[in-house]
Amino acid sequence: MDRDVLDKSIVLCRSCDLVVRKRALPSGVRALCPRCNSYLYDTPYCSINGMLALCLAALALYFPANFFPVLELHFLGSIRTTTIFGGAMSVADQGYWVVAIAVLTAAVIAPGLLILSVLFQVLIVKYQLHNPFFRKIYKGFLCQHKLISQLSMLEIYMISIFVSVFQLSDYTDLYFGIGTFCFTMLFIVVIFLQREYDIEHMWSVLDEYQ
Amino acid sequence: MSTSNTSVQGQRLGLTCCPTCTNLCQTQQTICSRCGQAVTSRDHSSIQKSWALLITAAILLFPANLYPITVMTSQGQVRKDTIFSGINHLIQLDLLPIAIILFTASILVPMLKIVGLGIYLLAISFELPISKRKLMAGFHIIEWIGRWSMLDLFVISITAALVNMGQIFDAKPAPAATAFALVILLTQLAAKVLDTRLLWDRLESNDDRN
Repeated sequence: MDRDVLDKSIVLCRSCDLVVRKRALPSGVRALCPRCNSYLYDTPYCSINGMLALCLAALALYFPANFFPVLELHFLGSIRTTTIFGGAMSVADQGYWVVAIAVLTAAVIAPGLLILSVLFQVLIVKYQLHNPFFRKIYKGFLCQHKLISQLSMLEIYMISIFVSVFQLSDYTDLYFGIGTFCFTMLFIVVIFLQREYDIEHMWSVLDEYQ
Repeated sequence: MSTSNTSVQGQRLGLTCCPTCTNLCQTQQTICSRCGQAVTSRDHSSIQKSWALLITAAILLFPANLYPITVMTSQGQVRKDTIFSGINHLIQLDLLPIAIILFTASILVPMLKIVGLGIYLLAISFELPISKRKLMAGFHIIEWIGRWSMLDLFVISITAALVNMGQIFDAKPAPAATAFALVILLTQLAAKVLDTRLLWDRLESNDDRN
């Protein structure tokens, strides 16, 4: 990365506004603010091809994870299944649309947007689409990235599935569906995707275009 | 980090970081040169916004805990569970680990968040002599752990979708679910809108060393 040394030699803490002189870090080490211990920066490491692969894998898993049954309930001979999407819709049907929107946003919409947003960013960087139209899209995605990644809560949904299984196993028999497998894989892929993704690096790519 | 400039605020040097992309900007700039979003050095109204959201959340905490959150029908018997009685029921079923997880996610975390953020805001508003390091550490914990309260809503949506067989076996959400969803939403927002640099500006003006 060819960074502008004059401009990038100091960094301000986002939480307490302390001025910190930037230093080179060994890879895998994060710099924390010496005064308030907030995260400051780490070594930007981003493999564009690796992220592309993870994005495509996540996209392939996304639809089965959301629309195939995650749990099957066997009760007095009848079988009930539910999908993640169906769970949210059934709560909405009862009139609890605030809950339904919260569930849909955190488990379906935000993870989907996250994957698509990273995919478009990676494609724009990989194929060096320099024209102003793509630059504008790229900027827009980067500005929204923090919000989208805060809203996606795949890990919490994972735990919720297990909690529900334990809660209901006292009443009936429960079986995992194919959706659970896909959802678990999606969760793992997205973890690696977020580990690989570095927003500072993505911003610095934009600087290089100029 | 370098020791010579441990207590220099970025504001004093006429520098600030862009709230959207954390690019280093001049204080007199109005638009960030990298991401094109508005730049402000401090958001002084963030304390009021945060107070408003927090107080609303604290009021909603009462209906969330006092009203039933699920209605369970099992062989004609209707059980209305509040958050607390549901956890109590789990303990009676010998599902102690699940009970602990749900207790932490749906009672402990929201209450700690509201109390913690309240203390934080009081410390900024009334300049209370509380160690800023500890406040900041608490704030990071609150920010990180807050999303886990979504667990209860996910569990409700999974159960409501699965267990749906009329008089024999049925689970539905109840009024507290909406209140609980709003508590999570509002406390997350209250933590997000707060400009934590205001706390550290006070440190500089008072010149205390805690």
